[in-house]
Amino acid sequence: MTRRREWILIAGVALAAAAAGYAYNAWRTAPEAGARAEAGLAALHATRLPDLDGTPQPLAQWRGKVVVVNFWATWCAPCREEIPLFVKLQKKYGERGLQFVGIAVDQPDKVRPYAAELGMNFPVLIGGAGAIELTRALGNRAGVLPYTVIVDRDGKIRSKEVGVAKEAKLEPLLASLL
Amino acid sequence: MLKHLLTILWLLALAAPAAAAEQDLLEPDQAFRFSARVLAPDAIEVRYQVAPGYYLYRDKFKFAAQPGSVELGTPELPPGKLKKDEFFGEVQTYRGEVRIRLPVRAAGAANVTLVATSQGCADAGVCYVPHDQTARLTLAAAGSAAGPVRPERSAAESKDEGLNALLSGYSGSPGPGGDDGTIARLFHGELWLLILSFFGFGLLLSFTPCVLPMIPILSGIIVGRGNRMTRAHAFLLSAAYVLGMAITYAAAGVLAGLSGAMLSAALQNPWVVGSFAAVFVVLAGAMFGFYELQLPAALQSRLADASNRLHGGHLAGVFGMGALSALIVGPCVAAPLAGALLYISQSRDVVLGGSALFAMGLGMGAPLLAVGASAGALMPKAGAWMETVKRFFGVLLLAVAIYLVAPLVPLAVEMLAWAALLVVSGIFLHAIDPLPPGARGFDRFAKGVGVIALVAGVAYLVGALAGSRDILQPLAGLRSAAAPAAPVAFTRVDSTDALDRTVAASRGQPVMLDFYADWCVSCKEMERYTFSDPEVQKRMAGMVKLQADVTANTAAHQALLRRFRLFGPPGIIFFDREGREIDGLRVIGFQSARPFAKVLDQALAFERGAP
Repeated sequence: MTRRREWILIAGVALAAAAAGYAYNAWRTAPEAGARAEAGLAALHATRLPDLDGTPQPLAQWRGKVVVVNFWATWCAPCREEIPLFVKLQKKYGERGLQFVGIAVDQPDKVRPYAAELGMNFPVLIGGAGAIELTRALGNRAGVLPYTVIVDRDGKIRSKEVGVAKEAKLEPLLASLL
Repeated sequence: MLKHLLTILWLLALAAPAAAAEQDLLEPDQAFRFSARVLAPDAIEVRYQVAPGYYLYRDKFKFAAQPGSVELGTPELPPGKLKKDEFFGEVQTYRGEVRIRLPVRAAGAANVTLVATSQGCADAGVCYVPHDQTARLTLAAAGSAAGPVRPERSAAESKDEGLNALLSGYSGSPGPGGDDGTIARLFHGELWLLILSFFGFGLLLSFTPCVLPMIPILSGIIVGRGNRMTRAHAFLLSAAYVLGMAITYAAAGVLAGLSGAMLSAALQNPWVVGSFAAVFVVLAGAMFGFYELQLPAALQSRLADASNRLHGGHLAGVFGMGALSALIVGPCVAAPLAGALLYISQSRDVVLGGSALFAMGLGMGAPLLAVGASAGALMPKAGAWMETVKRFFGVLLLAVAIYLVAPLVPLAVEMLAWAALLVVSGIFLHAIDPLPPGARGFDRFAKGVGVIALVAGVAYLVGALAGSRDILQPLAGLRSAAAPAAPVAFTRVDSTDALDRTVAASRGQPVMLDFYADWCVSCKEMERYTFSDPEVQKRMAGMVKLQADVTANTAAHQALLRRFRLFGPPGIIFFDREGREIDGLRVIGFQSARPFAKVLDQALAFERGAP
């Protein structure tokens, strides 16, 4: 075998292996991702979680409004950073049909004093491990907080944001949906 | 030929980020890479490799061990970096590498499952939920002087158990830890292995083309020409020379350790670690003969002159010659020596540095001693094989470079780097060149090693591109897809009434109830990776298996979830033979096959223990 043919052979095998590996990975993850997002949306609409008084609250009760679902926790510093912005926007746009809903991946007795301190003017629900699963289903693959989903009046997801929300981006988006 | 190799390396380097850029945020297992190993019969070391841009909270660690007979002491948490947080005040965080010593008291338990809970965040402004990582370790029987067991990488992760621990209330943060976690202790027990390796490297270095041919000449100079002497005297003189050389190396090692200790903070910096790795790559290039690295010729000749002024044949003279010879760093030795010193400075340990380099000096001098003692009878013949030894050091230096950057890069990149190194080494060992007829045994052996390296490299390549992120089992991801096991036959229950009826009807048999939903990723992972395991299936065969599919989330489903105080799937509940829930045995979140099999064992054992 000549040198050149040898190298063509090696390159061919390497490329084939790479292509096979990549295709396998794509096949393994891709079709599920689409189905998962669908199922995630369905699950979001079907979610019913206890509020700070322990009363179960279905998310479906806010259908027809622009709903901002924010997954957060008191132990998550960046989450706490963005809540004053949510309080402000809820005050400003609440009458026009904007509804913030906080889902705290936390214990109720940790959330209660915190919500009072910040004057959270929107419902805060207590989610468990299932809440993180729900965000994963919605596309939060790493399972991190804060995670924010914006649902429009028709129940469609318009934005999914990992990390702290920025006023300059969030407010125009919400205004356009209202 | 080299051009081709470089092209392939370059292509691999290009492919790596493409594979890594799939998602911006790392999965928690990659952001906080976890491993644990046994240090001594009474201590475990837990290690986290925190990816750059991520950090762990010092006061959020929690450790637990199975079986219950294993007691964990207070974790010795090294001091963290102070971070001013506008909400939490001053908190201590860890970046880079964290090693935590965990005292352990095990009453006869050899196999321990360690569950480590950690919580961290990314600089990007997100936090991870408390995360569990598991390692299985084998403890030596207490009292025996057994050495440390090979470190085990975390084999399984049950992702949301830590979260549940949080939701049901933390038991507070671990107590303050001692901050005397020096490297010396970390190398405890492994120190001798390291010193032995350095001795071996020294020996190998003496077999490189610029050292071996010099040995007989050197031996002549040491003994002193024209002097007739006994072998014992010749050996003694050689020993003095070797000792002089080894002590100089040891001094260099001590200096490297000291400088490392002084720069300890800087050595955590990804840029510094990255440039160290780059230096290793440059050093490796010298070993492959792309260029030569050695002390400037002027300096070398000055040292040689000084050495020449000393007289052979006298103990003090040859000792001085040895000490000077260590400073005349030739082209074959320069790169590996620099590599060894860099490695020592990374370890930041003066004692380790001194002893390892001393051992290396002894190793380099060993052939000289053999020549001195045997009057030249015990000398391997110089030949082309010495080039192979030189290249071996090149591969070794590249391996160290990969090892250094491993914590900083995604696992996929690390795997691709290993793949590249193995494949290229394999090619160099003529893995795909035909053997000439009548090839020597050494050639056949080298080809065998080359083929192994090539196959292993291809396995890493395929595994990495197929999404496998496991250094120890690069192809594990392909296996589960290649042989899908039969799905487990669950009986569906849709309401508390249906559940009660079924449980009552299965009296005399243990019952397992699995909460499932289509959108629940962990549930699917359980199905794919855990329920499909033959060991798990064997155990589940003796159980009544129920499943509540709560995708539709009807009122009946919610009642069912509420009854078990669950907010949603995933969740697995076990009932005893009498139809009562077995307290404390529920599995929430994903659990891999081996720990889950243990839970099943407990469920089955509970049955037998019940009246």
